[in-house]
Amino acid sequence: MRRILSSPNGIAGSVLLLIVFAIALFGPWLAPYDPQLFHAQNRLEGPSLQHLLGTDQYGRDLLSRVLNGAPTTVLFGLGATALGVGVGSIIGVIAGVAGGRTDGVIMRILDGMLAMPELLFTLLIVTFLGGGTGQALLAVAVTFTPGMARVARSSVLSVRTREYVLAAVARGESRAWIVFREVLPNAIGPIIVEATIRVSFAIMIGATLGFLGLGAQPPSTEWGLMVSEARQFMFRNPWCVAIPGLAIAMTAMGFNLFGDALRDAFDPKRSHG
Amino acid sequence: MSYFTLTRRHVLMGLAATTALPNVTFAQSADPVPGGTLKISHSTRIATLNPLTLSGPAEYPCIDMLYSRLTRIGLDSQPHPDLAESWDASEDATEFTYHLREGVTFHDGSPLTADDVVATYEAILNPDIAASATSVLDMIESVEAVDDLTVRFTLSAPFADLPFSTAHANACIISRAALEGDLTALETQVNGTGPFKLETYDSARIVRLVKNEDYFVPGKPYLDAVEMMLFPDLAAETANFLSGTTDVMLTVQQADYERIAGSAGIDALRVPSGRYVNIVMRQDAEPWNDVRVRQALAKAVDRQLLVDIILEGLGRPAYDSIVAPEIQFATEKPVIEYDPEGARALLAEAGYPDGIDLTLVASDRPAIRSQTAIALQQTAAAAGFNLEIETMPHDTYLANVWMQGPFYIGYWGMQPTIDATYNLLLTSNASYEDSAWKNEEFDALIEAGRSTTDEAERARIYAEAQAMELADVPYIVPFFEDVLTASSTGTNAWEVAPISRYYYIENVWLEG
Repeated sequence: MRRILSSPNGIAGSVLLLIVFAIALFGPWLAPYDPQLFHAQNRLEGPSLQHLLGTDQYGRDLLSRVLNGAPTTVLFGLGATALGVGVGSIIGVIAGVAGGRTDGVIMRILDGMLAMPELLFTLLIVTFLGGGTGQALLAVAVTFTPGMARVARSSVLSVRTREYVLAAVARGESRAWIVFREVLPNAIGPIIVEATIRVSFAIMIGATLGFLGLGAQPPSTEWGLMVSEARQFMFRNPWCVAIPGLAIAMTAMGFNLFGDALRDAFDPKRSHG
Repeated sequence: MSYFTLTRRHVLMGLAATTALPNVTFAQSADPVPGGTLKISHSTRIATLNPLTLSGPAEYPCIDMLYSRLTRIGLDSQPHPDLAESWDASEDATEFTYHLREGVTFHDGSPLTADDVVATYEAILNPDIAASATSVLDMIESVEAVDDLTVRFTLSAPFADLPFSTAHANACIISRAALEGDLTALETQVNGTGPFKLETYDSARIVRLVKNEDYFVPGKPYLDAVEMMLFPDLAAETANFLSGTTDVMLTVQQADYERIAGSAGIDALRVPSGRYVNIVMRQDAEPWNDVRVRQALAKAVDRQLLVDIILEGLGRPAYDSIVAPEIQFATEKPVIEYDPEGARALLAEAGYPDGIDLTLVASDRPAIRSQTAIALQQTAAAAGFNLEIETMPHDTYLANVWMQGPFYIGYWGMQPTIDATYNLLLTSNASYEDSAWKNEEFDALIEAGRSTTDEAERARIYAEAQAMELADVPYIVPFFEDVLTASSTGTNAWEVAPISRYYYIENVWLEG
């Protein structure tokens, strides 16, 4: 942890993440108004004392909506990444440990999936499954799986031929024991780093899907959906697009910077290289 | 506004056809200047030009320019002569004779005769051919050509509104030769009698039409050409229109209307129309089988707030009748005030003293459905209706909820007549009957209304039918949406009918 905080990137990332998590945990209680409540007299207004960040097209308080949408948005990013990383790592470890023909077949299939741009692939899945938060989460997870599998496999491969693994094999340990006690603990670093950075992608893809009307549905306060709903009113009140947009950017940046710092911490050579 | 629109000209007396103009012309400050190319921007694809089936918002203006119908709906929402110079009906409204214009030719030069009209209507009525106009014309038993310029329709049941039906946007007259050939050719090729001929058809980019020199109204059209330009992105469309690249913006969004109308050199046009959102409350199950619950929800809708917020004020509050004020025989509807207290009392009376929890379904397209749901949730909360909103993809909605679910948001376009309006949704055998109201007395009234040609009698019958609708509240209709369009100030006579399928572009002319 000290190594993370030794770089400015790490500090910025950690602070941003702390803020984001605090908002995600307590936001709904901090909100000054009901996020769905109309203030018909104060539609599309800029920041004022009454509405600190202004109001949207229905006269709903933007601050309350952003605070209320934080858990949905952040949980979406974490959930999609966790699922994608979990499944991806299992596939990667199986491929890496098994080697040979199994490895070849799995990797060629994953290569095929990787050939498709991430966002397009997600869109394809969501179009197939239909819109909605659950479907969008699943789609992002599926999209992340091949990339994570590759990272996990390469990480396992680099560890597999180390002396301590060979020693375990020579000792006659069972295969499962070798995988879980010798290989995985030493291969997990890159996976965690990759996962942290991917959370920001997941949040951004989730927001994109919400923006395209394929993720969360109105009257949800998901940030991407907020941008999309307010887009028509951009010329009349730029705040209602800027605020949720900024929130997405800050969260994504937080995860990204933290992930970067984490990678440097795991790999001291690169941080000074 | 009068209670009955008795003063309007009798529909069936379309003999006032001495002027050749199919619609009302209005005072112009200057004489029309011929020439020029009108560029119309639109945001939806022109996927087909098949006049029998098309239904796209940008496709209607195309067939309105390329084809003609026997009759055409004017700006006053009444049928006017188009290819038929005049028509007359038998007293019992079972036999109609249409007299065609002389000397009309198709774009390929062949003359239009009664035989082409017969062929068109036989195609529309042919169950093997998909045609959108079938539903308003299915009472036709036979069509015959009396001579080259006279067509006689014999109906299986009395139907006084036939001149409205022959003006149906999809009842375009097509030549017999085209109908007997390959019908898929209609999708991309046009041989009509309209004021413009098709030059280029590129559904992904542009549709270009050129002047028909032999159009049957002398001196028209004024324009040399019309270009329908597709802009899939709304922001790009608006920017191009405001910068003067295009002359007409076919559809303006409510959110942009004020900005566009306020720009220099732009004339924005706002046409009161009968497009509406209706809240469906299926009456064959709890709680909607109790009229008091429906009345309570009606009182729990702040109609003016909905008009202000959802339509940006570009519409009119409606009071639970699907019949728009523009439609002939529409009665004035009493105002329903927003009264959450009264609604709460009615709910309590109906057995829900502590309020009621309900799930309201809204499809995600167009956005107005979910917007209405969100606003309704807010205004109805004060009356004890705790609504949970379920927004779902349109396809899922169509498959699982539409015409089945107990409580959802519908969205409908304006119909030309009161008969068509009610037969679409509210009579027991209506095409999209989804309220489970099924009132035999009401059905009998609608049946009686179509069987007489006596105006006063029809006004009385339809007034009674509308009173029944108001008393039973089969739907909640919160507002009627205006049709919004805009043109540059150099574009003259750009008009849209309230039922936005007729555009009269042959009258449009460009300055300098």
